[in-house]
Amino acid sequence: MTRIVSMTVNGEEHELAAPDFRTLLDVLRNEGGLTGTKKGCDVGDCGACTVIMDGKPVNACLVLAVEAEGADIQTIEGLQHAPDRPHLLQEKFMQHGGAQCGFCTPGIVMMAKALLDENPEPSEDEIRFALAGNICRCTGYTKIIEAVQGAAEDMKKARAI
Amino acid sequence: MTIHDHPAAAKQSFSVVGKSVKRSDTLEKVTGTALYAGDIVLPGMLHGKIKRCDIAHARIKSIDTSKALALKGVKAVLTHENVPRVLHYGSPHPRSASVTKDQYILDDRVRYWGEGVAAVAAISEEIAEEALGLIEIEYEPLPAVFTVEDALKPDAPAIHDNGLEKNNVLAPVVVERGDVEKGFAEADLVLEGEYELGRPTPAYMEPNVCVTQWDGNGKLTIWSSTQTAFMVRGALAEVLGVPLNKVRVIVDHMGGGFGAKQDLFQHEFLSALLARETARPVRMEFTRKETFLGGRSRHPGKIWLKQGFTKDGRITARQARIVFNSGAYGSHGPGVTNVGTAAMTSLYRCENVHLEGRCIYTNTPIAGAFRGYGVVQTYFAIDLQVDEAAERLGFDPAEFKLKNAVREGDIAPSGHPIVGHGLEDCIRRGMEESDWAAVRKAPKGNGVKRRGWGIGCEMHGSSAYPGIKEQGNAIVKMNEDGTVTLLTGTAGLGTGAHTALSQIVAEELGVPFEDISVVQGDTDVVPWDIGAFASHTTYMGGRAAQFAAADVRRQILAHAAPMLDSSPEELTIVDGVILRLDGSNRSMSLREAVAPQRGMPAIQLVGVGTYTPTKSYSFGAHFTEVEVDTETGEVAVLQVIPVHEIGKVIHPVAAAGQIEGGIQQGIGHTLSEDYVIDLTNGRSLNPSFVDYKMPLSMDMPPIRTIILETAPDPGGPWGAKGVGEDPIIAIGPAIANAIHDAIGVRFRHYPITPENILDALRVQKKEA
Repeated sequence: MTRIVSMTVNGEEHELAAPDFRTLLDVLRNEGGLTGTKKGCDVGDCGACTVIMDGKPVNACLVLAVEAEGADIQTIEGLQHAPDRPHLLQEKFMQHGGAQCGFCTPGIVMMAKALLDENPEPSEDEIRFALAGNICRCTGYTKIIEAVQGAAEDMKKARAI
Repeated sequence: MTIHDHPAAAKQSFSVVGKSVKRSDTLEKVTGTALYAGDIVLPGMLHGKIKRCDIAHARIKSIDTSKALALKGVKAVLTHENVPRVLHYGSPHPRSASVTKDQYILDDRVRYWGEGVAAVAAISEEIAEEALGLIEIEYEPLPAVFTVEDALKPDAPAIHDNGLEKNNVLAPVVVERGDVEKGFAEADLVLEGEYELGRPTPAYMEPNVCVTQWDGNGKLTIWSSTQTAFMVRGALAEVLGVPLNKVRVIVDHMGGGFGAKQDLFQHEFLSALLARETARPVRMEFTRKETFLGGRSRHPGKIWLKQGFTKDGRITARQARIVFNSGAYGSHGPGVTNVGTAAMTSLYRCENVHLEGRCIYTNTPIAGAFRGYGVVQTYFAIDLQVDEAAERLGFDPAEFKLKNAVREGDIAPSGHPIVGHGLEDCIRRGMEESDWAAVRKAPKGNGVKRRGWGIGCEMHGSSAYPGIKEQGNAIVKMNEDGTVTLLTGTAGLGTGAHTALSQIVAEELGVPFEDISVVQGDTDVVPWDIGAFASHTTYMGGRAAQFAAADVRRQILAHAAPMLDSSPEELTIVDGVILRLDGSNRSMSLREAVAPQRGMPAIQLVGVGTYTPTKSYSFGAHFTEVEVDTETGEVAVLQVIPVHEIGKVIHPVAAAGQIEGGIQQGIGHTLSEDYVIDLTNGRSLNPSFVDYKMPLSMDMPPIRTIILETAPDPGGPWGAKGVGEDPIIAIGPAIANAIHDAIGVRFRHYPITPENILDALRVQKKEA
């Protein structure tokens, strides 16, 4: 049966109609119109659908929409401060060439956001470990790691001021 | 215009080219606003699904779709009985000899496990999925073959009837130079070996997807994830029997292709037919599993290679027999076989060459185009055997490869003389950067973990010439405020191509990079382009864009000359300002020059560029250090130093990104990636990202990329050549050779798995 699921998405209250079997990923993309979150495998293997749910990164394809009742969801669309003011992580991904085809990018940026929220000064190994469930097939990860390191460094400088 | 009289050909200083400007496509990508084909939602849109067979070779005796059609929410079901029966190319590259014409939209026969046999359109994906299970099919099994050896046996079933020797995709490709018998007679050392090549797949992140819609005037629009929009348009028009102006293909962003998305994958036709039958838009997206089953892999196969060498380190003869496994359809088999076979004439110099390449149908998933296009396979064999010869003759392998590297004036596989000394430059630079002599002498250790260094080399052509006569086209328009719009047919599969093309246009016109915007990916709007493949986007599409910009530049200078009391020849454009070259300080902004004046509309400035390239070659040498765990068999790649010579670098960060990503895929090919087919029934055993093992963030080593510009090619913009495919070719042999350096075992296949390492070490121990 279809239920109405209430959740906060990028700071806005949403009531979305979701059949019991439909995933958070499909509901965000279809009912929510938020197509920035990508479907690469639909079985939790690739991380392209990573969103932040109640402060923790999750594969949106492994969460049923009904499980998100009352949850606070952040997607890639909610990350930038304003259309012309990208988040520092987004700036760094652009600057370092961390996005090529861009299909894995929203998931990786959200995973990096979740990492830096929890661990503002990660080592390279900690960044690599955090991204271990996010498949990128274009970049070899070098520039993704550089982008996350660059964002962490700039955030540290900003905190010191 | 010929390439030689181009006004800026000898340009020495650059304002935009060579700088890592902010890519024009990345703001959309990092903010999630980039639209991919699967993001398109249209009013009334239905969802399509394909039913795939669970048998490797069979005739369809009957299909009963009545139960599926009766399911509430199902709007249409297609089978071979109600779709047009038109034999077509898998990838219709202007009917070139590189591709085969052996497919139907749906056939009454299936040739591999997982082939599409029916399609459903329904009001939701879930209902469409449910309907697939209600389609009842009775198969009459046919004998099936899964290896080339079995497919070539006298009693093997004929998978296609193309008039050639049974199960051959094309007539054998024979390439001959000099006299191999004479060459072997002169040799002091003859090496012979068989090299076995696994079945890696591109595993692009975006599953194949399209959305189709017919308007009230009988025009089809398709949003599709493809590298070759105009090829898709051509195939749809031909098979559906409509003219080209009634098919519009739109590709805004696409999530990777790596060569494979040059083909059509059944779903484009099925989606279009379902949309026509239901008079509603239809979206059809592959599951990840379907991207394996219905996708395209690299060609697996075997290479028998024999080479003769002299004591002083020359190669006197090279003989090879290459047999590629095409799977159930030909796809790019002819192109891959031709390119891979011809490539063996080169890389390391040899005057006496006899090569035979074959490509064979089997009842397995389809092999197609994939980054490196046959050359990954053949250079793996050559480089490993040359490495072995160096050891046997007492040479350092890097010195030996340097000594034999192709150089200026040698005849390339395409028949062109090679320009410059790119390969030698790469090898020398890599030896310096790695401190090669020292690291090779360093102790390997005799503990559990042993380290070694290896070198692998490659060269690869920009453009598919002579297999395909390619063409790139561009239109450049200057607006009445001096800003510029570039219309290009080149697809943006994630490489940064449109940024590179914008840089080229900005440089040629003398305007800031930010003043260029790009229109692309719409066959109704942009000029025809053959598509994005063969490492030719910057080389060919960039050159076409440069010509179009030069056309506008000529027009604007002719227009401005009277206003500056000068002649076009005595004017230049710098940072958006037209200047007199005579130092008179007379100048005007482009905006002033083109703006409406005295009540008259602005001057119309439209430039057109067409470029039909031949070919250039890029070069690379990879130096890598590995660590082999002799207890677990695991191989860790510790570092890679890739050195590439690519003529002129347009965007250093994007070029390095191509190299790093190619290395990632190449490490996967060499150590872990293999799409496995059950040889008893043809079933796919690992069609998922959990079971198909790719190197991820924890596996990727530091990569210290070095890019050289020592051998610019006159055919590319300011000498630029391709870089997309090169890196995936050199890393494989570098790793295999490094494993030998570490543990003294020479493998002759990929992937080299932990089991292979442990087995080899056991044999080594026994023999000792």
